[in-house]
Amino acid sequence: MNVLFLLTVILAILMIAIGGKKGARSFFSLFLNFIVIILTILFMTDESANPIIITLIACIAISSINLFFINKINSKTVVAFISTVITISLLLIFIHFVTKKTMIQGFGEEEIDELSIFSLFIGVDLMKVATSVIIMSTIGAITDMAISITSPMREIYEHKPHISQKELFTSGLTIGRDILGSNANTLFFAFFGGYMALLLWFKDLSYTIGQIANSKIFGAEMLIISFAGIGIALIIPIASAINAYYLVSQHKKEKPHSN
Amino acid sequence: MRFISNKIKQLSIVQIIVSIIIIVGFFSSIIFVNNNHSFYTNTIVKVLDTKLIEQTDTVDNYNNKDILSTQTIQAEIKNGKYIGQTIELTNDYSIAGAYDQAYSSGNELFVSLSKTKEPLTASVTNVKRDKYIVYIAWIFIFTLILIGKKQGLFAVVSLGINALILSFALDIYVHNYNVNLLFVISICVIIFTISSLLLVNGVNEKTFAAIVATLIGTFISVLIAYLVLVLTNEEGLRYEAMDFLTRPYKLVFMAGVFVGSLGAVMDVAITMSSSIFELYEKNNNISLYALKKSAMDIGKDIMGTMTNILFFAYLSGAIPIMILYLKNGSPFLFTISMNLSLEIARALAGGIGIVLTIPIGLYVSLFFLNRKKAKL
Repeated sequence: MNVLFLLTVILAILMIAIGGKKGARSFFSLFLNFIVIILTILFMTDESANPIIITLIACIAISSINLFFINKINSKTVVAFISTVITISLLLIFIHFVTKKTMIQGFGEEEIDELSIFSLFIGVDLMKVATSVIIMSTIGAITDMAISITSPMREIYEHKPHISQKELFTSGLTIGRDILGSNANTLFFAFFGGYMALLLWFKDLSYTIGQIANSKIFGAEMLIISFAGIGIALIIPIASAINAYYLVSQHKKEKPHSN
Repeated sequence: MRFISNKIKQLSIVQIIVSIIIIVGFFSSIIFVNNNHSFYTNTIVKVLDTKLIEQTDTVDNYNNKDILSTQTIQAEIKNGKYIGQTIELTNDYSIAGAYDQAYSSGNELFVSLSKTKEPLTASVTNVKRDKYIVYIAWIFIFTLILIGKKQGLFAVVSLGINALILSFALDIYVHNYNVNLLFVISICVIIFTISSLLLVNGVNEKTFAAIVATLIGTFISVLIAYLVLVLTNEEGLRYEAMDFLTRPYKLVFMAGVFVGSLGAVMDVAITMSSSIFELYEKNNNISLYALKKSAMDIGKDIMGTMTNILFFAYLSGAIPIMILYLKNGSPFLFTISMNLSLEIARALAGGIGIVLTIPIGLYVSLFFLNRKKAKL
């Protein structure tokens, strides 16, 4: 039997046994996200398409799946969605600027021998694809941060409906800070797990610090780790501000009717 | 000025020391990376001017259209025997930029000089990236501290400590032939778990419960992954696509599974234990049934997002190589199985760890809660 098939079956059984209906939806969301990634890659093979625009569309699809499909469409998820899209757009501009400066696109000298059978002149701008990789690595964590901030903020607001916009914003920041550490850890360890072979390579071939610091592969990994941290930090004030504004202005609208 | 001095007076000693360390570290590292040319033995040049001299359209065997450009570069040598001399280089680049790129004035490059003839000639070997890596690392640190305050600083510090521990552990493995990688990584996992959870959550029952749950969850998920590999004879895993292999691939892969799922499992474990302790503290008379049900509901809520985080962290890295395969006429399914099989296996194994840690975290926390109750 196939490894992936068996692991998938085990994961599906566990998710449904422990999570019930929500578990089944979560499992199905993984499948949907897989399709989105594959479609993203297929669209990127068209050299006339801009990979960054494709990434933005993919991120919108992924956050819709993570927020609206796993949870439901409500004000909490809608605000989380808007915050995610704003954060991603800001990050895309900044990341693209940095990938251009660092030139970490494409493949490193460590990989290039194995790719000698391939034609490298494929017409697809791999600099933009590199930007896409960085943002897509973090999209799951960014949507998670967004929803983890907007839903408790709503609860706080329901308990204290006369809270000011500024106080609500501050409590959003506090919530975000509390989960920042463990969310960052989740990503960092996931990346470390993936870089195990690379780290052993550097050690086995006795790379000097200078060689590591200038190598394309290490640079790319550093950018992924750094922007993962920046992304999940940046969404905290953005989601808090949008949610505070939305909740309080919503209240003002409803006031004449409710009181 | 008064405002700033008042602000400084409000800071505690620890805050002042941390700020001084950060500021000194920031300035000294920035000055260093901008002036470290003499520390490199390879020749470094700084591009002064570039000129595009030729452009040709190309079509490869798979009908991919690209444009090949050639530029000449005037550059100044920044270190070594020929420091200060100007040389001319040529550089070819494509739109794809898989293994090439256009240079512009201000770029710093590593070159290999050919000393056989006058005037000096050279070819580009690498880009000097250290400066930008340091800049972006500082932007990362400042963003986390400015937004995350104390928690942001802790996240940065724990990343640094964990990276050092991992690097040290791999050194031990690399220099001792008789040490098993999985053994070294198991020790690492225990240290990571204890240090990260204590650092973020402090010394209390809640943290102990999370540590125990994390360790049980991680080891069980790795055991399941291992059993699946044995049972299926590893059918469907394409180890040949693994990059940078200097070591037995199966061990390296399992070590990656081990460390990779750890963060997510820790997150689930601490979420479960915090919610159980909080629910109990809010209402000391809460029934066991209600406690279990509320905690399981929280677990169900985080299950989907946590597995998705791992899923994207692993799969996204394969996008460029998959584009290269597809553009070179590789069949679609072959491209997927070749480049994603290991990443998907890692994500699935991590997902299994996440889901299992929900009930494990629940019962371990209940055990610690009862112990705390018995002590009162």
